Amino acid sequence: MITGAASIFWRQVLALTLANLKSRYRKTVAGFVWVVMNPILMYSVQCYIFHWVLHIEIANYQLFLLGGLLPWIFIMQSLEMTTPILVNSGRLLKSFPTNPLIFVFAQLLDNAINFCAAFLCVLLPLAFFEGVDPWGIVGLPFAGLLLFSGVLAICWLLSVANVFFRDTRFIVSFVLSVLYFLTPIFYPVELVPETIRWLVKLNPLYLMIRPFQTALIHFTPLPFARDCAASAAVSILGLPLAAAYWKRKKNEIYLYL
Amino acid sequence: MKSISTSEGEILRVERLNLVFQVMPHPFWSWRDAFTQAVRNPLEVLLAEPDRLHILKDVSFTLRQGDRVGLLGVNGTGKTSLCRCIAGIYAPTSGGVVMNGRLRAIFDTAVGIQPELTGIENARLLAELIYPESDYDRERLVSEATEFSELGKFLDVPYRLYSNGMQARLCLSLISSRPCDLLILDEVFDGADAFFREKISARILKMISASGAVLFVSHGADQIRRVCNRLIVLADGHVVHDGDVESGLALYERSGARKDFSF
Repeated sequence: MITGAASIFWRQVLALTLANLKSRYRKTVAGFVWVVMNPILMYSVQCYIFHWVLHIEIANYQLFLLGGLLPWIFIMQSLEMTTPILVNSGRLLKSFPTNPLIFVFAQLLDNAINFCAAFLCVLLPLAFFEGVDPWGIVGLPFAGLLLFSGVLAICWLLSVANVFFRDTRFIVSFVLSVLYFLTPIFYPVELVPETIRWLVKLNPLYLMIRPFQTALIHFTPLPFARDCAASAAVSILGLPLAAAYWKRKKNEIYLYL
Repeated sequence: MKSISTSEGEILRVERLNLVFQVMPHPFWSWRDAFTQAVRNPLEVLLAEPDRLHILKDVSFTLRQGDRVGLLGVNGTGKTSLCRCIAGIYAPTSGGVVMNGRLRAIFDTAVGIQPELTGIENARLLAELIYPESDYDRERLVSEATEFSELGKFLDVPYRLYSNGMQARLCLSLISSRPCDLLILDEVFDGADAFFREKISARILKMISASGAVLFVSHGADQIRRVCNRLIVLADGHVVHDGDVESGLALYERSGARKDFSF
């Protein structure tokens, strides 16, 4: 049963999410279409370059790239947009007794809605023409939930850190651009030399992306469950860490906003 | 927050409230500063104890039905911090705050949430934050508030085009829409233009008389005389006066503490 405080929290998160969705492309002609089109265009171009120009040979490359690239875009946009969010909302946070976390949750939910819309737009025609294991499609919502909770933990941590260390957001941008090449998104993990493959498997962003790739390409229950467990570990470790950091710094935040 | 039993008619009890902030001795605003400081003097960085800012020191008082309490003190004495503790924004380091009923606290009036959205859309969002309880008819509340603000056709203009005065009109109209058990107003009369200030003052006074109790932060002696029937004076985080308005104002004036300082 949802308590009063939790119900207020989620109502405020939903109201802010809707406002974010409305305002993001208000002055544009195509509006919401741009939000969905951007990842789809990125996906189409990368699919062409990596598969047809650079000849990365994987069966069902379109599905493989879908499982890696779109979750990556969700992660990247979420980290870049939520890291400075507490600083940007500083004046508002000091004006009313409002839970600062509603701003983090709302931005994340906004990005998750856009991610789901873009993912479905690509998945549906691919599933029709290429064929996807129906059990793999059933597994996708689990992969999505684990991705959401893992990204939430990282965003929560970084948004608080950015209040005290203002160049956190620049470091995040830099690290993400490096990790794009170091994370097996457009190439399979098997191409990474075996001696350093363990390093890739320590990358939390890859751990959250991996269940999507397993669900879409040659789905088998056991490897999928194993990848989901690794993805869940990111949330299990990250959420208590973020909560503890938040609890410790909650008061001081207002001094630095 | 520590649990303390309250007696009948009591709306708020603050008991031996202490608020201490642990502040980094070298306020690193960037990782670069942190790195250069660590290279320059690693021992100092490693061994440095966080600075302790003791903002509120054993603050105790109660508010009962009908109390209209002014909170006075020079800048940096902890007025806003005390209000934020009561509002639940800050967690007290020790001591307790017990609230019986519904609280509303306002610390700034010229704020919006989404600059790209219109005034009316921002008003709806603000209403969600200011009146979080589900039993309010928010559509009616927003419609009454926007009518009172007299912003007319500007309500459909993006909020980023609003001047500070227009933002204050909208915010003040919203916050003064419904009474509550405890109302905390922190220097809220500033910002609006002279005509609207008169109009909003009358409305806020009406809301104050309909509310259970009020905690009113202001530096204006006239405003305090007009609104309050009791005055608390803070100095260096301590309560130095809790009682009659005129003697509190006299103490504040006598202390000659009208010099600004900040922590």
